[in-house]
Amino acid sequence: MITTIFSHQVLALRRQRVLLVLVAAILLATALAGALGWSSQSTIVRVFDEATRQLAASGAPAPPNPFLLKPHLSLLSNMVVYIPLVGALFAVILGHISIADEESSGLGRLLFSRSMSRAQYTTGKILSLALVLAGLLLASFAVSLAALLLVNQGISVADLGRLSLFYTLSWLYLVPFALIGMITVLLTTSRSLALLSAMGAWLVITFAVPQFTSGLRPTQSLNPIIEPIGLSQAFFQATAKAQPLSIVEQYKAASAAILDTAPSVAVMDTVARVMPLLGFVAILTVAAFALVRTHDFSRSASHE
Amino acid sequence: MDDAAIELEKLSHTYDKDPVLKHLDLRIEHGEIFGFLGHNGAGKTTAINILTTLLVPTGGTAKVCGHDVVTARRAVTRSIGYLPAEVRMYGHLTALENLEFLATLSDVKKPRHAAKETLDFLGCSDLANRRLATFSTGMRQRIGIAQAIVHRPDVLLLDEPTAGLDPLGVRQLRETILQLNQELGMTIFMNTHLLSEVAKVCTSIGVLNHGELIYKDTIEATTRRFPDEASLEDIYVTMGGAP
Repeated sequence: MITTIFSHQVLALRRQRVLLVLVAAILLATALAGALGWSSQSTIVRVFDEATRQLAASGAPAPPNPFLLKPHLSLLSNMVVYIPLVGALFAVILGHISIADEESSGLGRLLFSRSMSRAQYTTGKILSLALVLAGLLLASFAVSLAALLLVNQGISVADLGRLSLFYTLSWLYLVPFALIGMITVLLTTSRSLALLSAMGAWLVITFAVPQFTSGLRPTQSLNPIIEPIGLSQAFFQATAKAQPLSIVEQYKAASAAILDTAPSVAVMDTVARVMPLLGFVAILTVAAFALVRTHDFSRSASHE
Repeated sequence: MDDAAIELEKLSHTYDKDPVLKHLDLRIEHGEIFGFLGHNGAGKTTAINILTTLLVPTGGTAKVCGHDVVTARRAVTRSIGYLPAEVRMYGHLTALENLEFLATLSDVKKPRHAAKETLDFLGCSDLANRRLATFSTGMRQRIGIAQAIVHRPDVLLLDEPTAGLDPLGVRQLRETILQLNQELGMTIFMNTHLLSEVAKVCTSIGVLNHGELIYKDTIEATTRRFPDEASLEDIYVTMGGAP
């Protein structure tokens, strides 16, 4: 039964061509990240070459190529921004359309008057969403790999591992947004309100929460000092402690550590940053099961 | 068979403190075509929602083929086929794909075969590979019936099945209902407003008024009981079925 729901959902997404649009957009974003990385690198190299020529002409020794000092995966650093922006938004849409038909058009009445249990339905839906998101990211992974091979003329096994880990983390980051897309359909009375609520949740998680955690210390981004907050500033201390609640920040920090684009971070610190994300996924999964279990699908159409 | 096709005992349901069904007692035997009449808001759809296990009653019991809708949900869903008032299925899938999917959810062993067989039985094999989004109301209604019987249930629950159909569609539906009852031996429970259809198709009727069953008998007995009334519509008005 779970397999049936799962394969039906994948077929439905494919038929609606939503998946095609999302794959195209994700690939475009990945290619853009690669192009921007390449553009940045070639600019640095051009400036370096020009400086080297001038230094050589004046008889001075040339410094080492700055690009060689940069981690190879820094080429893809923009992906850390695109995943929470573009990827999470698409995950919300996928989650929304995966259940909206059944809830709002009365299809749920047909489905739940059959032998299938609501737990089987929810499991099938969540698994299909997780797989579709994995497929999207796999396509993005392929483009990233191609960009790295093209620009860097090769990739080490360690970098390949880091890249795989980054995409696994990104998948984990997108799953809760798909769940939010699902849950808002069950909590609201119309499709448009559901989509609006899910978008609102995405905005809050992506932009508002980070503002209330590290974003309230704007000087830190310009001049990252270790203890910018005075002991008397209780509010800022509280918001600083709330930083683990910002899954965007946790994702960005963990991604930077994995891609080696941030100063060296202990492995356990990176693992600790992933824990709030895992907790978020767990809470939303339980909520999705509970809501589908108690939702009145008979009221999706008019009743007497 | 001792168990009735449908048996309701003191069945009650309340929506937000508003009682919709009040201690409903009803027994429908196997092989009957039962017309459930009542004005809008009388509680007919709520009764069907309980029989389809979509709603848990707030009081009393409901059984289908001897299985309780609350404690034996899976057995009930295997015994029933359900056609909602407005047939909605997956528009981007073909009729065959829709039926195959829904057959699988009803534990049918060979869902594709069952789907094709059902389309053949209803004489609409030509619709098999067309996407539902392109269907007219009448076509959709036929596929709606196909999904309701694809797993060969004992009891078929139809909620306002004639809604939105043209006269030809209504006639086709009537013939289909009789065919399902006579050839497949299905018990039919039909919510409807169309009294003319009830007179032509049903073997017995029940009238629901503000959540209470005010009348239940066979069509013949009903006609005998109200000899002065010219039509079932007059009888319905006489017994207070109008709001």
